[in-house]
Amino acid sequence: MSNEAVVMKNVCKDFKVLNRHEGLKGSIQDLFSRDYKTVSAVKDVTLTVNRGEIIGYLGPNGAGKSTTIKMMTGVLEPTSGELLVNGKVPYKNRTENCENIGVVFGQRSQLWWSLPLIESFKLLRDLYMVPEKDYEEMIELYRSLVDIEPILHKPVRQMSLGQRTLSDILAAFLHNPAIVFLDEPTIGLDVSMKAKIRELILGLNKEKNTTVILTTHDMGDVDALCRRIIIIDEGTKIYDNDIEHLKNYFGSYRTLKIRRTDDTWEEYLIDEKTTDVMDVIMEKQKEKKIKDVKILEISTEEVIKKIYEGGAR
Amino acid sequence: MNPKRLLAITRAGIMESLQFRLGIFVTLFANLIYLVLVYYLWKAIYDSSGTDVVNGMTFTDTMIYLILATALFNFLEMFVVWDMSRKIQSGALVLDLLKPMRFRKYTFWSYTGNHVVQFVLTFIPTFIVVMIVTGGAIPLGLNIVWFIIATVFALIINYNIEMLVAPICLFTESTWGINIVKETIVLLLSGATIPLAFFPEKARMVVQYLPFRAVYDIPLSILLGKSGSDTWQGLLQLFALQIVWMVVLTLAGNLFWNCAVRKVTVNGG
Amino acid sequence: MQKRGLIFYARMYRKILVQDLKSKMSYRADFVISTFGMIMTNLSGFVTFLILFRNFPTINGWDYYHMLFLYGFSLVALTPVQCFFDNNWNLRFMVQSGDFIKYCFRPVNVFFYFISEVFDVKGLGQLAFGIGTIVYAWVHIGIPVTPLVIVKLIVYLLTASLFMIALMNFAAATCFWIKGSGYVMVIMFRFKDFAKYPASIFSGIFKVIFTFIIPIAFIAYYPSLVILQPGNVPPLSWISPLFGIVFVYLSYKFWMLGVRKYDFTGS
Repeated sequence: MSNEAVVMKNVCKDFKVLNRHEGLKGSIQDLFSRDYKTVSAVKDVTLTVNRGEIIGYLGPNGAGKSTTIKMMTGVLEPTSGELLVNGKVPYKNRTENCENIGVVFGQRSQLWWSLPLIESFKLLRDLYMVPEKDYEEMIELYRSLVDIEPILHKPVRQMSLGQRTLSDILAAFLHNPAIVFLDEPTIGLDVSMKAKIRELILGLNKEKNTTVILTTHDMGDVDALCRRIIIIDEGTKIYDNDIEHLKNYFGSYRTLKIRRTDDTWEEYLIDEKTTDVMDVIMEKQKEKKIKDVKILEISTEEVIKKIYEGGAR
Repeated sequence: MNPKRLLAITRAGIMESLQFRLGIFVTLFANLIYLVLVYYLWKAIYDSSGTDVVNGMTFTDTMIYLILATALFNFLEMFVVWDMSRKIQSGALVLDLLKPMRFRKYTFWSYTGNHVVQFVLTFIPTFIVVMIVTGGAIPLGLNIVWFIIATVFALIINYNIEMLVAPICLFTESTWGINIVKETIVLLLSGATIPLAFFPEKARMVVQYLPFRAVYDIPLSILLGKSGSDTWQGLLQLFALQIVWMVVLTLAGNLFWNCAVRKVTVNGG
Repeated sequence: MQKRGLIFYARMYRKILVQDLKSKMSYRADFVISTFGMIMTNLSGFVTFLILFRNFPTINGWDYYHMLFLYGFSLVALTPVQCFFDNNWNLRFMVQSGDFIKYCFRPVNVFFYFISEVFDVKGLGQLAFGIGTIVYAWVHIGIPVTPLVIVKLIVYLLTASLFMIALMNFAAATCFWIKGSGYVMVIMFRFKDFAKYPASIFSGIFKVIFTFIIPIAFIAYYPSLVILQPGNVPPLSWISPLFGIVFVYLSYKFWMLGVRKYDFTGS
């Protein structure tokens, strides 16, 4: 097998949508309208994901993340461009492609709602034709990584959101796929559950050398899991490199935190190339009394925010 | 209740229904096919019977009755039971209960928008088709006014029947079962599948006083000038029956709904 | 790589079905109410039938018992679609909410995976009702009972059920293209009520339409003629199994085309 898990070359995806008019009169007009417009969800994206990598695939809402993943999983056909997953065109070989991928999509459970988890696992084992030995090994691996006993015999519909997400991730890895797509796996979870899930993903990635493509809005996920990130905005790739590199790029930025006498914190993002931090402190001092000052390196969160706002273009 | 607000909800309901543009055309088309089926079936039935009038209904009467019953059915159709069960499962019901308006009222007025669209897009075209095909067999006069009033009553009665049934979803997950029982009973006993005139005498005596008849049979009888609606006394009797049921069902629906909601708030939805 | 053949799918279906039945046991109230609902619809249909025959002794030359046979025949023919293809009713909600996408992530046929998820037990009540009706009518008409006739009956009942399956597949799949197409399924399901009347009532262009385009005539009428008029079976009756297979195949292709064309914007 080649070293590339995913190869995308100049991939575009367009959707045709009806131009809707406003108001009641507009609604009636729309009944007969043939006024379509083309919306480009993904524009000319080229990227490569290597085996064993954990990639953070980031972008603001509606940037085209989901569309890209739907193309990689073979659900959508690219309008143009070349897309290979595990060396195959996913849309043309959907079932074959599905053998080698695992997907956790949104907060939608893909397990059988009213079945205990273990029964879902058994059905999946049969669907993917996993040999008994590999299956047992995988369950053992799961046991060593997380405490699965409390959820194994529980129907999915009775689980908490955290347990359900955990189950879905375990189910996605069950057939030992080459690539796993995780779409916002930690959304809505509490802090300890988030940590647990990150640990699990890291553990599975290490043990099985599984490629993980992760979309998230939680920079905690990115910091904990990804070395490399790809950022997409309005369908165009705007960043693709190490996370460290990104921080260097914004290396001259500092987060200045000022505590006032009434114990409220104020935050300022300062580019040291253009502004002197001390000047800002002095100026703020003039406004109102300062009790405490902290100068921090820029956080991933701030960097991403900066990029979404157009800092890297 | 502020009438402007009601109008706004109705308007939003209309716009929502119009969103499904292809759906509307398909519905129209499917209805036409259905009418053709009804036509052929009853033509065959009357042809085999050898007489023109059965139980006071001619072929034309029966046709008009059944076709308009279907159109009325589309016009009155509500999915309150389904909506309710989906809302319960997704937890959205709690959100609806928080809206600054009584839930029952809100549902009613947002459906009104849909009713308006259905009336214009299915009932009126069907009515015109029937008029053309039968060569104007439907008398056009004051009966149209009475028919419209009776239809509004029917709408309210139908809504209250729905609202009586829908809260059952709070107690059981069997939406399909509940809905099918309701639909079957309403369609059979209201005369939507087979005109009440064809029912055996004894059965008709009973069915006549049930609320289901007030949904389809009474408006259609009034439109066609049947069931004594051509006299003032008969007309008043029919209206009285509708009004009595409207009041009874509204009260019962209110009571049941309040009990059911108390259950939701106790269990936290 | 192993291939997933018919045996794989049959085994998989059995396993999913067993699991589904197990989990259904946990919803006892639902089962009771649904079964009650099913009995109610059948009773209501039967009452309508009786009322009709009280007023009109024959319909298009068909007497009470022949019509009853046709009625029972149509009920039995509806059972497979109700038992095995019931998930079609959920399709449009799944598509609208975006939940449908989960069926596309498995290395099996999407249609199979979707349909296998639900097995509907309540259809069995209708089967019993239908068989009872057929037997009752059979005895009164006095059709001789031979092994050959029984085999024919089973083959043509299965044939008839194919058409209903195809119709509902077509109706359900419209939701991939048309928003708010729920009514198509409702009305298609209501069309089946006309299957219990002899198709000879149609004439002209509509005879063609209800035979070849919306094949209501095949849901009971043509297949049942093989049993009811053994001396005078129209060619359309004989070849109806072939037609049935073609229709189901086309409906399956249409359904799958919908999956491919759909843009999954629901999420």
